[in-house]
Amino acid sequence: MRRGHDKGTRDKTRRGDRRKGKRTNAALHQSAPESLRPAPLGLAAQTREARKLLEGIGTPPAAPFKPDPFQLEALAALEFADVLVTAPTGSGKTWIAREEIRRLIGAAKRAWYTSPLKALTNSKYQEFSAEFGAERVGILTGDRKENPDAPLIVGTTEIYRNQLFDSLRSGHDVRADLVVLDEAHYLADEDRGHVWEEAIILSPPRIRLLLLSATIGNADEFARWIEEVRGVRCGVVTRPGDRPVPLKAALLLPDQRLLPLLNDTGRLNPEIVAMGDRAREERLTPLGGHRRRF
Amino acid sequence: MKLSMPEMPPATLLRALGTYNLLPAIVFLPTRRRCDQAAAEAAFMRRDPDVSRHDARRDFMQDFIKEHPEARGHRHWDTIIRGGVASHHAGHIPAWKLAIEKLMSAGLLDAIFATATVAAGVDFPARTVVLTGADARTGSGWRQLTASELQQMTGRAGRRGRDKVGFVVAAPGLHQNPQKIAELLQARPDPLISQFRATYSTLLNLLDAYGNFAQVREIAEKSFAHRDAARQITQLEQERAEKEAKIKTKLEQAACQIPISTALGLERLVSARTRLQEAKPQTRTEVLLRWLDESVQPGRVVGIGRSGKRLVLVTQRRDGNIVGTREDGRSASFPLQRIGRVYSPSYPLRDEATEEAFEEIHARGKELVLTEPRLRDVRDEESDALGLIEDMIESILPSNLSSELKVKCTRALWEVMGEAEAIQRTKRRRETLRDQVWQPFEQRAKVLASFGYLDFEAEKVTERGRWLADLHIDRPLIVGEALASGLFRTLDPARMAAVMAALSADEDRDYGEIELDDSLVSSLAEFEDTGFRVSSEEWKHGIEPAPELNFSAAGASARWAKGADWSTLVRETRAEEGDLFRMLSRTGEALLQIAGLREAHPEAARIAAVAAAAVLREPVR
Repeated sequence: MRRGHDKGTRDKTRRGDRRKGKRTNAALHQSAPESLRPAPLGLAAQTREARKLLEGIGTPPAAPFKPDPFQLEALAALEFADVLVTAPTGSGKTWIAREEIRRLIGAAKRAWYTSPLKALTNSKYQEFSAEFGAERVGILTGDRKENPDAPLIVGTTEIYRNQLFDSLRSGHDVRADLVVLDEAHYLADEDRGHVWEEAIILSPPRIRLLLLSATIGNADEFARWIEEVRGVRCGVVTRPGDRPVPLKAALLLPDQRLLPLLNDTGRLNPEIVAMGDRAREERLTPLGGHRRRF
Repeated sequence: MKLSMPEMPPATLLRALGTYNLLPAIVFLPTRRRCDQAAAEAAFMRRDPDVSRHDARRDFMQDFIKEHPEARGHRHWDTIIRGGVASHHAGHIPAWKLAIEKLMSAGLLDAIFATATVAAGVDFPARTVVLTGADARTGSGWRQLTASELQQMTGRAGRRGRDKVGFVVAAPGLHQNPQKIAELLQARPDPLISQFRATYSTLLNLLDAYGNFAQVREIAEKSFAHRDAARQITQLEQERAEKEAKIKTKLEQAACQIPISTALGLERLVSARTRLQEAKPQTRTEVLLRWLDESVQPGRVVGIGRSGKRLVLVTQRRDGNIVGTREDGRSASFPLQRIGRVYSPSYPLRDEATEEAFEEIHARGKELVLTEPRLRDVRDEESDALGLIEDMIESILPSNLSSELKVKCTRALWEVMGEAEAIQRTKRRRETLRDQVWQPFEQRAKVLASFGYLDFEAEKVTERGRWLADLHIDRPLIVGEALASGLFRTLDPARMAAVMAALSADEDRDYGEIELDDSLVSSLAEFEDTGFRVSSEEWKHGIEPAPELNFSAAGASARWAKGADWSTLVRETRAEEGDLFRMLSRTGEALLQIAGLREAHPEAARIAAVAAAAVLREPVR
């Protein structure tokens, strides 16, 4: 009973709000020129919630690059063991690979960098050529073969796996001290995933593996498996807090109001819950949403 | 909770986001066409008022096309320069996608309309990610996004060093579901699930490297997919060790100096006895049915009915049901029970042999008919077997034991039968688990053996298997057969490019209806025939049929290999550039693989090299 009463009150207030909001918006849009200027007061002041939601928006002050602790942790772990790094795209996994490759090339050792997509392979080839010098980087894909004897080879995972096959059949070693498997979560790809497994299983234990993966639910299990099949320790490094930039979620309504998707406790905003309830009621009511009020 | 809301026109959506300072944004839309439409519409409705940004974008693109000339004059050129928005999906060529990504990173775009495919791999951040629903488009309809997919998408919200906060905005849409989005946002990421499978290539390469199936099997058993099974196997082995220890203790307590194997041997004898007793036929009908079940095989002639006068040549058996050819050539189907006689010879199942078969039966039927066993004989036979087992059970203990010890040991042995039985059960379970991983490899090994690429008995890769192992393409066997039959030697480069495109392209994608000339049709037909031979053999061994050839890809590829220019090809096929690009790029890679077989197939390799060069030219590199 009480809940029903509450909802009724809220509905009334909200309907009033919406009408007002609409008018405001219409007026605003006729005059507002496009740009990235701060939101006009009329809109921003619309709800306290929206204001709170938009708090903190903007560009942080420029800061010199400083590696994250998880990046340093991964580098340190690579000294002694294989490493599985799980973190979302854009949080700096490549930095770890680049620094380790830099160290190896400096020590006259060799590395392989594999990626699942040709486009990614090409862009990594450019990036590393600029970083380490074109003469030190080679590329191997299904249709491109340049500088194949370079100390750093960038290529598709399939080509690396094929080299492992060739090495097993001919008895010649694969010439690498480190293999980076970028986008290692491709292991779960329906068509091509088996290639990643084969690459991991068949890589000789003397080769160090650095696996870079998106966030996955079973990183520890994955690492234990790598240890089992390779007989080499495999550390897991996960980016704490899992996002490099915090995320806020919102619902935009047709009247252009912006509501926070979640409340402070992380549950769905009650106002949205109420909207959903109303929508369901209207669907269930015959004659297109006329409530049986009269 | 569905919250159906009218979808905002793209320009209105961007305006709303702009007022909240939420640009630049990536707007995820379900289809490529919706992305293109939204970008064009938004660009038209909202000219970017900041003209200096027009210039910046133009300068950027002028620089970009110096390195990537294939992006010049793209049909969306004005959309990005004047509108400051773009569409990004798999329908575009890689160079164009790269241009969009770089413009975005340089902060020169306000919005990108993209399909979910963008979420994979490419670093592509914005301040805000917009979702118009919680569903993803599939080939045949809609399905819910997974937590990982949604997190990949929202992973693009918030640029490191450029945003303090990133936003995900659920925008109005007909199938919007804020509750679902909230759930997926907070869900744990999906676990990585193995998709390990057997392929011809892996099997041939590993068998050639190790020279025996056992080691190939060991590799297969290392797979992540097998990890659960492996864990179960370890557990089973532990259980087995425990039971064995128990048996040992019990026998020692009874002061019996007999090995565990005696207990296991006894258990096998006992269970064999039980099986025999249970299966022992009780009636004449049972005996008869069992005999028919063993003796009625395809190729044999049988007589139907009590008199057995109507003859049928058995062609197929489906459990209790028999299919065959009657003397008049018509086919017949009947249950096993109706058979009255079975004749001993086995005839080949060819039309011309059928008549001879019936003639022989008419002439010498009396001497060829198999004798139906009698109940008493069968029972005697089985009683003999039972007797034999009883004797073996009796004599399982060493004969030099004193009679007192013999009694003690016999009692001890019977007391550990429970453990012995458990050990046998774990053994069988362990074998079943191991077979699950190995079976797909064994099926493929048999198919390869039937085409002569490996010797199944000797566990060796043959000479032709060795070059097939070097062919790293999706369906090597069909290409191997086309090479072995000499088909590829007779093709000109354009036709070879066409045939390989038909094989490499996605089965159901349309690359237009470019007309195929007669010689190409006949080559494709011959290739299709080869494919059918391979698929039939695979089907026999329980391997799912491979996808169909794509003839429309063949037409497009032949036209391209003959030197058509890109814009002509795009116009004539009406296919999306990105699809054409991928199909031709895959075709070129497959051709390069064939070109690598210089020693085993010099002529085909030479043609393939020319074809590859014709296919892998700008913009398909």
